[in-house]
Amino acid sequence: MKFEDAVKKSIKAFMNGKIPAATNKLSEEGIFHTPAYFDELEEEMLSEDNDEEIVDEDV
Amino acid sequence: MKMFDFPIAGANYAADTRNYPWHRPPDIVSYDEGVDYLIRKMNEPEELELVYALLKIDTHVATVVSAILMQGISRGKFSIDLAILMAGPLARYIGIIADEQDIKYDMGLNDENRVVITPTSLKLALGIFDDDEEDDPDEIVEESVTNSEGGLMATPTDVETASEEEQAAMLGLSNEEEEPVDGLA
Repeated sequence: MKFEDAVKKSIKAFMNGKIPAATNKLSEEGIFHTPAYFDELEEEMLSEDNDEEIVDEDV
Repeated sequence: MKMFDFPIAGANYAADTRNYPWHRPPDIVSYDEGVDYLIRKMNEPEELELVYALLKIDTHVATVVSAILMQGISRGKFSIDLAILMAGPLARYIGIIADEQDIKYDMGLNDENRVVITPTSLKLALGIFDDDEEDDPDEIVEESVTNSEGGLMATPTDVETASEEEQAAMLGLSNEEEEPVDGLA
């Protein structure tokens, strides 16, 4: 398997909500950058953009 | 590769293994630390400009991710294994910042719709048409087989046959004596 294929496989798995299980077990808290974290980040970033647009319209 | 243009067996034991960054232990070994590093790197203006430009020319996100990770590996920032683990979060983050900028992108993960490139499709795509292309010999064979009614082993119908006299002459049954040629008699 080529590096690019492994990267694609990893992206697919992450997009399907899977996280590296063994890495997750390394610490008690688990990993921080999970798919759920990025969902929240996306909401925050996109909502910030929308707020800015609304402010701009008001000005 | 030329016959003798490769290292001799055991050369790796004699070479200095600390010549390149990826020969040394990586700077980052933790998953979260690595993803943090990549996100911080992605927020640098030069890096952002490059990623936006690549996405605008329809480069797949997976290709951009591979390039960024390869760069980190070559600089000794993280190992190949950790890079593969971090590919998902990085691709997701690139997707988010692309959405933020209203840039349409393709992750590049679907191989189902991939068109297989053949010489014919390539010729068609490039607008190359062969006018003096020879007929396919297989087609000719098929035509000749279908035209004959009795199959391959049947008696030929349209073949010209020799007359009875000619056949008798060929078998040596004719009474006519052959005249000597070149006066050899």
